[in-house]
Amino acid sequence: MTMMKSILSFRRLALGLAATMLVLLSSCGKSPDSGTVGGDAAGKQLNVGVNFETLQTEYWVAGFEAIKAELKKRNIQIVESIADGDANRQLQQVRTLITRKVDGIILVPKDAKTCIPAIKAANEAGIPIVLFNRPAAESPGVKSSAVVADNRKLTRETVEFMIEQARKTGKKHKAMVIVGDLGDINAVGRKDGFYDAIKGQESVVEVVAEVPSEWNQEKARSGVVNALQANPDISFIFSSSDFLFPSVVAALKSANKYQKLGEPGHVILGGFDGDATAYQMLLDGYLDATGVQDVYFEAEQSVQALLDQLAKKDVPSLILDPGFVIHQGNLQEKQTRMWGANVSRK
Amino acid sequence: MGREREPEVKAMSAAESSPARTEAPVALRLLRRAFLSEHLVLGLCLVYFAALAPFTPGFASWSNLQTVLAYALPILVVSVGLTLVLIIGGIDLSVTSIIALASVVGGKIMSGDEGWLAGHALAVPVALVAMLAVGFGIGAINGLAVTACRIPAFIATLTTMMFISGLAIWFTLSRKIGGLPSGFVMLGQQLWLAAAIAGIATGIAYLALARTLYGKWLYAIGHNSRAALVSGVPVARVTFFTYVASGLFAGLAAILFTAALETGNPEMARDNLLDVVGAVVIGGTSLYGGKGRVSGTVFGVLFLALVDNSLNLLGLTFYTITMVKGGLILAAALTDALRNKLLAGR
Repeated sequence: MTMMKSILSFRRLALGLAATMLVLLSSCGKSPDSGTVGGDAAGKQLNVGVNFETLQTEYWVAGFEAIKAELKKRNIQIVESIADGDANRQLQQVRTLITRKVDGIILVPKDAKTCIPAIKAANEAGIPIVLFNRPAAESPGVKSSAVVADNRKLTRETVEFMIEQARKTGKKHKAMVIVGDLGDINAVGRKDGFYDAIKGQESVVEVVAEVPSEWNQEKARSGVVNALQANPDISFIFSSSDFLFPSVVAALKSANKYQKLGEPGHVILGGFDGDATAYQMLLDGYLDATGVQDVYFEAEQSVQALLDQLAKKDVPSLILDPGFVIHQGNLQEKQTRMWGANVSRK
Repeated sequence: MGREREPEVKAMSAAESSPARTEAPVALRLLRRAFLSEHLVLGLCLVYFAALAPFTPGFASWSNLQTVLAYALPILVVSVGLTLVLIIGGIDLSVTSIIALASVVGGKIMSGDEGWLAGHALAVPVALVAMLAVGFGIGAINGLAVTACRIPAFIATLTTMMFISGLAIWFTLSRKIGGLPSGFVMLGQQLWLAAAIAGIATGIAYLALARTLYGKWLYAIGHNSRAALVSGVPVARVTFFTYVASGLFAGLAAILFTAALETGNPEMARDNLLDVVGAVVIGGTSLYGGKGRVSGTVFGVLFLALVDNSLNLLGLTFYTITMVKGGLILAAALTDALRNKLLAGR
């Protein structure tokens, strides 16, 4: 009898679980845009696959939403999938998009090289493919276009602005740089851009700590705490992504070093991305500058590049998003193009 | 087969002897028998496939099944190795980092761009041996830590995972290694070759578990290592070689992952650990040790791959897919717990 009770209770549990899954599948499961009806000039309904490596940060979510909005604006049907950081799964998902006979693919690859087989598969199927925000490595016979932020240049410009602020204080600053996951080409570009700007400016800024974050907030927080303990006089911090700011702020607060611009003990702060946290920090007067990736420009260019490929027009293999540096001086003027500001307003 | 079928034999004999069972409705008896059957996951795979195929465009197409298989094969190989470790009541958290290190070591040897043996006729064979040797070596370190140093497997393999992951990043300075020879790449991209490699490895593990004394020893250690030792089982030696085997399987999986993605990648399979453990648990291997089958793992991997693929084909959102997969792994763990309770209750 005990056994039967166990089975019956398990049946209830299993039924509950199945019901929950059915509700999920039926109510929230469908992609909100999967039923969008659209068409090209010839009247054929276009169907574009959008595959992102991850939605881990606000930036990727904003990019994902911007692309979906751009496709919807052009009346194009969307099929979405997310690889959750797994290159092998991403390859499978691109092949699944090919199985679904999409007209084009917009891809955020896991990295520059592991995406090559996916691009080859799309090329072999005759399906145009555009890479969003991360380019592919050059490979013989592999054809794709990429719309990317100029990470190195934009970081250099941001850090140069920060150095100017440091110079105005009239004293030498000790600096910390928080680097991202160096398996990510964007993180490498930002690190290189930081050192490009620092080079030759050693009389103003001396780098005393390089904190590896692997794009992980907890690792960033412990790294910043350790660096501040080893070098309590750090007064210049650049974070390779704005999404690490909560970790930086927590560490600065615990060291009693989180002060507004113009206040004694202010640490010159800079970042990259232009997310909602950075926007709020700019509004509140704690952040000196951040390099903003123009997500809307990148989304628009990605969709346009795809349509141009479908129309057999020539499309450059690399389309650069110049981005812009936003700071207290141009906040009012530039904030409408700052994606984090728009996320924040929502 | 003998040992692998033992739970079902026990369950059936108990069913026949139980008076409560004879009074139970036929449907309930059939449900109970199916629930305790070693073929439960196979049944689930078939039912799931049959239920989804009519409503999911392209799901049953040959090209899609090839996609599913190509995705599942590397995961299957590493999962089979982990099955052996779980049967002895251990855990190997280092398998994905072994894959990453083996991937970059192999790439560094044979890459046409930067390999130590670039263009040499022996580049591919040497790289293959080196990739397996990495798995063997790290497996041996794990085995020694667990047996000779008596470090709990969770801590030993967690530490190895952290160290090896860092080593893989340091070894390549985070760069991906491309330009792999076509003779190597075909191992992962020619489906029949990848299937043959995975099939042979899986077959060897199956036979070792079902037909050899080693297999019997694994179950004995998993049930009660102290009793096994008293009974003359060389517990330390068997445990050591089980971790070595797990490392070797991870090294073999690295060959398939690296060839499929044409890249030596220090982050290879980094996010696959949950999929691997989930597939093994869904396959009926107990996290408590003493129970598990290679055939169950095969179907566990296949089931997760089918679910992932079908939900993508249905156009569900990333969030929904993640929740459904998490729910399935939870259901499998609950099933495992209930099966243990039912079997122990008699």
